[in-house]
Amino acid sequence: MAISANALPHAHADEHDHEAYLRKEHLMLDPKPRGEMNALVMESMTTTSWKFWVIAAVMAAIVAIGLFGAWGYMIANGLYLTGKNRPGYWSLFLVHTVFWIGISHAGTFVSALLRVFKAEFRRPFTRAAELMTTFALAQAGIQIFAHMGRVWLAYWMFPIPNQRLLWTNFHSPLMWDFLAINTYLLSSTMYLFLPLIPDLAMARDRSTGWRKSLYRILAMGFRGTEAEWTHLRIALNIFAFAILPVMFSVHTIVSWDFAAAMRPGWSSTIFGPYFVVGALQSGVSAVAMVVITIRYTMKNMDYFIRKEHFDALGKLMLIISMSWAYFFFNDYMVQWYGGDKWTDALLHFHEAGPAGWIWFMMLITNIAIPWLVLWNKNWRRNPVMLFTVGLLANVGMWAERFIIVPVSLEINRMPFMWGQTFKPGIEVPMFIGTVAFFILLYMLASRLIPLVPVWEVQEGQMAHSIRKYGKEPVVSVADLE
Amino acid sequence: MTDKNLLLAIFEDIDPAAHAVDALRGLGIHDEQVTVISGTPITEAMLGRKHQWSNVTRFSLGGAIIGFASGCFLAFATPNMYPIIVGGQPLVPVPPSIVVLFEMTMLVMLISTFLGVFLDSRYPSYTPKEYVPEISDGRIALLLDCPGDMEATITKAMTEAGAESVKRAEAQVI
Amino acid sequence: MANPKIPEFKADWKEGEEGRWGMAIDMDLCTGCQACVAACSMENNVPFVGEEMSGYGRQMAWLRVERLWEGEYPEVKMTPFQPVMCQQCGSAPCEPVCPVFATVHSQVEQLNLQVYNRCVGTRYCANNCPYVVRVFNWADYDRPEPLPNQFNPDVTVRRRGVMEKCTFCIQRIHKAEDQAKSEGREVVDGEVAPACAQACPADAIVFGRMDDPESRVSKLSKDGRAVHLLEELGTNPRVAYLKGGSNGNLG
Repeated sequence: MAISANALPHAHADEHDHEAYLRKEHLMLDPKPRGEMNALVMESMTTTSWKFWVIAAVMAAIVAIGLFGAWGYMIANGLYLTGKNRPGYWSLFLVHTVFWIGISHAGTFVSALLRVFKAEFRRPFTRAAELMTTFALAQAGIQIFAHMGRVWLAYWMFPIPNQRLLWTNFHSPLMWDFLAINTYLLSSTMYLFLPLIPDLAMARDRSTGWRKSLYRILAMGFRGTEAEWTHLRIALNIFAFAILPVMFSVHTIVSWDFAAAMRPGWSSTIFGPYFVVGALQSGVSAVAMVVITIRYTMKNMDYFIRKEHFDALGKLMLIISMSWAYFFFNDYMVQWYGGDKWTDALLHFHEAGPAGWIWFMMLITNIAIPWLVLWNKNWRRNPVMLFTVGLLANVGMWAERFIIVPVSLEINRMPFMWGQTFKPGIEVPMFIGTVAFFILLYMLASRLIPLVPVWEVQEGQMAHSIRKYGKEPVVSVADLE
Repeated sequence: MTDKNLLLAIFEDIDPAAHAVDALRGLGIHDEQVTVISGTPITEAMLGRKHQWSNVTRFSLGGAIIGFASGCFLAFATPNMYPIIVGGQPLVPVPPSIVVLFEMTMLVMLISTFLGVFLDSRYPSYTPKEYVPEISDGRIALLLDCPGDMEATITKAMTEAGAESVKRAEAQVI
Repeated sequence: MANPKIPEFKADWKEGEEGRWGMAIDMDLCTGCQACVAACSMENNVPFVGEEMSGYGRQMAWLRVERLWEGEYPEVKMTPFQPVMCQQCGSAPCEPVCPVFATVHSQVEQLNLQVYNRCVGTRYCANNCPYVVRVFNWADYDRPEPLPNQFNPDVTVRRRGVMEKCTFCIQRIHKAEDQAKSEGREVVDGEVAPACAQACPADAIVFGRMDDPESRVSKLSKDGRAVHLLEELGTNPRVAYLKGGSNGNLG
């Protein structure tokens, strides 16, 4: 089976060749002096071509017009500019909220779960993934605020003492959502910042001018004393373990926005884990896309990001795609078997209705394509193929949310009120705007933040060595923590 | 010459640093007088030193308790301040309250863990400190609080243990 | 009026199983003339959204007269006309999902209230309403002169971004209650009627007190011809629909 395939070829004539192969393959076995790695990372931040600024300017223009311009226009004029109607009260804004929250899940997953399980391949790209979490959550926030009818009163949803003496309604899944997303946004930002402190100190020590002042402020006087490292290590451990249930709760609660409602197709007990796995499906695919992009566009990243990482991410995507298929089938099976006439009508509408092609596209891009491509080691190590599979998986997950939100809303228990919401409204430029905003934030961050956690890479390299069992050289990892 | 000096001995690797820690003990320097500064996390055990005391777990436990309490306030107290009946549900519904308790507990727990690191490590502090930029290149530095009359002995011992350089430490803006 | 005891579990919820105010609609009498829809819109300052918006499913009327085809063309039968408005559920699914308590259960009138100035427009209530009777102000709609002269001063004019729905003409209920209170008596049957019931030329819509077993609406609701919409969901709707054995093909 592809998942358990050993990454190392077993038959080799010359063991010395094999050792060289291992060192070339694994970043952890190919150590460079720390000073050199620091220089590589600093250079990757400061080497910027004119193309970067052109792309950044285009993105900034899209954000200004497509996102904030369009949003402002919508606030001033009303939600009739969207494609929503009755019964499609929710549509693309909620699709995109769930989409961005899904993408945000991978950062924590890659960084915290793989840290807990000590999966060593995570080390060079944990920060790249964590940045995605924070930036994607910002986009989700924009989408959910855009969704509100009277966004200028959004603070009424904050559980704070107020003049009206009225507190918020904790019966409402939206209130749980507010608490969960808020917790997740704050804790993932803190989780991004803590392991960044030593790298900011590193950047502070080898920069001048405005960068020096910036890093000096951000590094907060970090020196690297034993005590500082101890506090940091303990805090990171607590964060890694505690942020995982928070991450699961966030997408489960997002699913409860639907599952708690009294609607055919939504009221499903399996929605919680189904949504969590769906989030990982889009999120891990997005991590693969980001990792490939920084590997091929940023200077010196070819040292840190190697085919082994594509390989590992590809396997992860394959496993998650299989889990997603399992949950999808589980949800479908039980709804189909239940025989409720409205649910039956809805399932039929999903497959044979006007959006049927989206439903089939979802199955193809979420299941068929990953399964056909990712089982093959050479294909998943191919950046173009992995990127394409990742992109298609994200298209497929967008389609899944589209099927769940607007398409399912078209069928309800009052056949007189069935209706369609296919008019593309202002949500389209606003979605393109959030994509551009995400890319823009990421591009700017890649100039300001060391994208590779150098100290974590060095720690990993200290822990790895090649041992020989008989004639076979094998990778061995010491548990330093 | 003052009777107390700060010396900064810089080592390239763990082994010489561990030897130096032993040598210092032999010379009668207490562990508390030595501060280890490094660019990668090296555990105290690697240098044969005592485990560092950290309050982070306590902060985090305290935060969890405060978070749970504030969750209780939101879930159980606020509905009674302005009782509103919705959807035939009890005024204080049990299952949704569990969600509120969980999220508030986690939120305040993680915030206080984060603040715990700040408080324990005294961040942010921009006062001048004894530091050299080579440390973030992976060097290990021992910052010694040594009696003035032992300076020469210690410098010699450090060099013998394999120190790259031993010099008077000067606080500088970092 | 004493507050009812609040139960610990949802299944124990018995408050106003019958309700205080209720409605009975005789579908055998309804002619589908839409007078109720027009009267409701006048009474409650419901905006007119225009042809285009209405065609896209953004009509604001609080009340709609449903009629469906049954069977495949040309073998079609028409179902009877069925006016559907907010069913004022005793256990309303729309209420608990609002994060800001904009839609709440009134313990005095035992109605389902929409508090416009609390609404932030998440539209969750509308999704969770199995009867799909809630309407949203997608825009501030034009009211060309002299339409503003026709505003009902007893009813708030809603702005864009808030949800609204049938209130059982609560302003009329309050007026009748105030009148009765000043005369030191209870509201009598037939004293108050919402705009739709008042306008109905066939007298198909009957409104009154459900807690009075002698009222017309109570008797009609207990009639063998009476059903409630989507009764199986356990929402305790307060509107009964009456339909006699063989209405045949009304079309």
